[in-house]
Amino acid sequence: MSTVAAAAHTAHAHHDDRSFIRKYIFSTDHKIIGIQFLFLSLFFLLVGGILAMQIRWQLGFPGKPMPGGTLLPETMAPGGVILPEYYIQLVTMHGTFMVFFAIMLLLVGVYANFLIPLKIGAHDMAFPRINMASFWSAVASGIVMLASMYVPDGAARAGWTMYVPLSAREDLSGAALGQQLWSVSIILFGLSSVLGSLNYITTVINNRAPGMTWFRMPLSIWALFITAILGLLAVPVLAGAAIMLLFEQVLGTHFFDPASGGQALLWQHLFWFFGHPEVYILILPAMGMVSDMIANGSRKPIFGYHSMVFAICGIAFLGWIVWGHHMFVSGMNPTLGSSFMVSTLLIAVPSAIKVFNWMGTMWRGNLRFHVPMLNAIGFVAMFTIGGLSGIFMAATPVDMFIHDTYFIVAHIHYVLFGGSLFAIFGAIAYWFPKMFGRMMSERWGKVHFWLTMVFYNCTFFPMHIIGMAGHMRRLYDPTIYDFLKPVQPMNEFISWSAFALFASQAIFFVNFWWSMFKGEKAPLNPWEDNGLEWTLPSPAPHGNWETPPTVYRGPYEFSAPGVSEDYLPQTKKLPTDREPALTPAGGH
Amino acid sequence: MSQAMADAMSPPFPAERGLDVYNKKLGMWIFLASEVMFFGALIGSYVILRFGAPGEWARPGVVLNIKITAFNTFLLICSSVSMVKAYASIADGDPKKMKFWLLMTILGGACFVGIQVFEYIHLVERGFLPSGVREGSELAELVTAGTLPGATMGLYGSTFFTMTGFHGFHVTCGVLSMLYLYLTKALPGKFTTTDYAGIEVVGLYWHFVDLVWIILFTIVYLV
Amino acid sequence: MATTTHKHPPYVLIWVYLAVLTAAELGLAFELPISRNMKLLLLMILAIWKALLVALYFMHLKFERWNLRILAIVPIPLALILIAAGMSEHIW
Repeated sequence: MSTVAAAAHTAHAHHDDRSFIRKYIFSTDHKIIGIQFLFLSLFFLLVGGILAMQIRWQLGFPGKPMPGGTLLPETMAPGGVILPEYYIQLVTMHGTFMVFFAIMLLLVGVYANFLIPLKIGAHDMAFPRINMASFWSAVASGIVMLASMYVPDGAARAGWTMYVPLSAREDLSGAALGQQLWSVSIILFGLSSVLGSLNYITTVINNRAPGMTWFRMPLSIWALFITAILGLLAVPVLAGAAIMLLFEQVLGTHFFDPASGGQALLWQHLFWFFGHPEVYILILPAMGMVSDMIANGSRKPIFGYHSMVFAICGIAFLGWIVWGHHMFVSGMNPTLGSSFMVSTLLIAVPSAIKVFNWMGTMWRGNLRFHVPMLNAIGFVAMFTIGGLSGIFMAATPVDMFIHDTYFIVAHIHYVLFGGSLFAIFGAIAYWFPKMFGRMMSERWGKVHFWLTMVFYNCTFFPMHIIGMAGHMRRLYDPTIYDFLKPVQPMNEFISWSAFALFASQAIFFVNFWWSMFKGEKAPLNPWEDNGLEWTLPSPAPHGNWETPPTVYRGPYEFSAPGVSEDYLPQTKKLPTDREPALTPAGGH
Repeated sequence: MSQAMADAMSPPFPAERGLDVYNKKLGMWIFLASEVMFFGALIGSYVILRFGAPGEWARPGVVLNIKITAFNTFLLICSSVSMVKAYASIADGDPKKMKFWLLMTILGGACFVGIQVFEYIHLVERGFLPSGVREGSELAELVTAGTLPGATMGLYGSTFFTMTGFHGFHVTCGVLSMLYLYLTKALPGKFTTTDYAGIEVVGLYWHFVDLVWIILFTIVYLV
Repeated sequence: MATTTHKHPPYVLIWVYLAVLTAAELGLAFELPISRNMKLLLLMILAIWKALLVALYFMHLKFERWNLRILAIVPIPLALILIAAGMSEHIW
């Protein structure tokens, strides 16, 4: 880029003459792309939720016709009664949509895009057009995945983890085109993810404003940065595995076919080598944003900022060497299994450090229970429960018993819903003003939080119990087993709670859409926060700043001595502040 | 690289010191890190499958044509040299030489792909497929005769075509990118001694593709 | 931004090295009467040597900052861990 181009680019910060299509559809502005990801991912969250409702119908009321079930074709639910073949597709696609298209896109697609340039003082991402490509390839991936549910033989049905040989052999699963489309969609998603990661990493390394040193970055950005590195290195392995799976069906290769010398466990090693860093991708950005929200809501600096950073790095680093804990009962090498047990138990330590630090932040703080704070505290509590159940699973002998039971399902949902999703609800409310220039309704946000908290725990906590009782995962009809008959009432209770939980989300959806158009107009800095984004108008303009701001301190200077307000923005210069060291031209 | 070139390739708005590498170049290195993982998964699977194979693997040279592939390897290495010479030329301020070396690289890369396509066609004719050995083909007879181990031919075909196929795909993308740069920037003289980011960045990609082939050639063809 | 203008490394010489190493690999693979394992080890060493030449000189890693070298190296141990774990399935 020449100097002439740069001058024209900074001028755009206050003069925007792009067409509607370039501004809102094929936009290269990171904020618009973040909002596009938001709409896309909320749609898929709804899709995943609808699939979950059908699963809960079948489990709560096995064999009974589902309300609205007669709308489904005979091949899926004749007379409204869900067939086993359809049930296993529901379970598979619920996992796939929620993990990839809802949570990953909500945490990374939305917030990495929206927050990174704003919070580090950059005009935009390092590669705005690649950013746009990342969004549209995610859209393509989503369309292919949706399409896979509508092909004649139905969708993929080997669980979101796609274990071979069920996933590789049409004669075993009955899914041909649906399975292949799953693989194609994942490959496209992988492309989107890698393009995104390389943007986020380059931008954070090279485009920080003067004074925004590494240890003055907000924890949300640290978390998104480390997550991007995880994604960069893990997702290509999934892409490779998905390609091999596709070839297994389409080209007749034998990677996973024991009869021809292949190894079924090879799939599991490849998948979980990706899969474990993936789950840290699904939680770290949430942790980062929760740190921001809790510091703000406590009007105190985050407790142990440096150890929080090191904990994020520690979780990311250890996350590469624990994947075998998903495979304890697979028949893998037992010595390997033992080493995975040790590393998995170790990874609890940095996570616990973070939990204690959040509590330390809140301790004796001037607490403000605004909607983001409520959701962030909810995150800490629910994530702790999810993490504790993880300790049980880390111990191989215990896992022998609880693997593939509802105990695992409880754990997954405590960390993903109780963890990530509550953080997302908080983050949406928190950065809504900067995205749309209006505030979400505080009252309805609180109603939504409490209803969700109650129904969510009623739905997922009993799953620990039925899991201990031996209730298997992905099971179609629990009533065929005598030993599960005592827990069937609990299944029904879980289903009713799940329906209520789903219904409660209507409050969030209405709040979200209504506030976008009719919400109270937002001031510059509604939460009285220190981050760079709060120095810009709400919504933030194209190009963000005319010239990058100068940063004088870290992001958590709440209740600082010598300042009349209880917050001290990063860009506010006090008489005692020095200018940052002069650096040679950078940020290219 | 000189300060003048650094300034030209990076709009001089102030920022924290990053990695002292301009965005496009850093972005390419990061992308290459992800490619290492991608090829690592494919090549790693080959190593795992071959190490755990239920029997002997085919001896080198029986199925695959070493002579042609050795020439192809040499060709790709040459194109890597011509690429770096293109980079050195423009860095030293000689756009004419840069255009020449870039064109040589494109031709070298295109020939590599062409020879590989020819190799694939020949292999398929002889009966070598991703699924293994085709019944009734020339290679099937070698299996019956005991020259080729039947138990591992399925794995051999699967891993061979996947690894070399994706490598060839990456080479093709590289050739197309270089062609695009050649036509839209090199020929019209848009690369100067202070602004040649595109050459350096596509060069990194090209060297990486060469590097992967160096590994592949050894462990697929020679072992 | 790195301001060192270094003299270009001797690219043609590196090319000769690479050609010689490739010839050595071919000779090793087909002519030398040594055990399979020894052959495998030597071939891997030669291949890695060639790869290092390309990475250090053609990709200029030798002249870049240390943290860029780290970035380039990081994926390798990860890939090796995956391969080692997969291979260990066969030996128990």
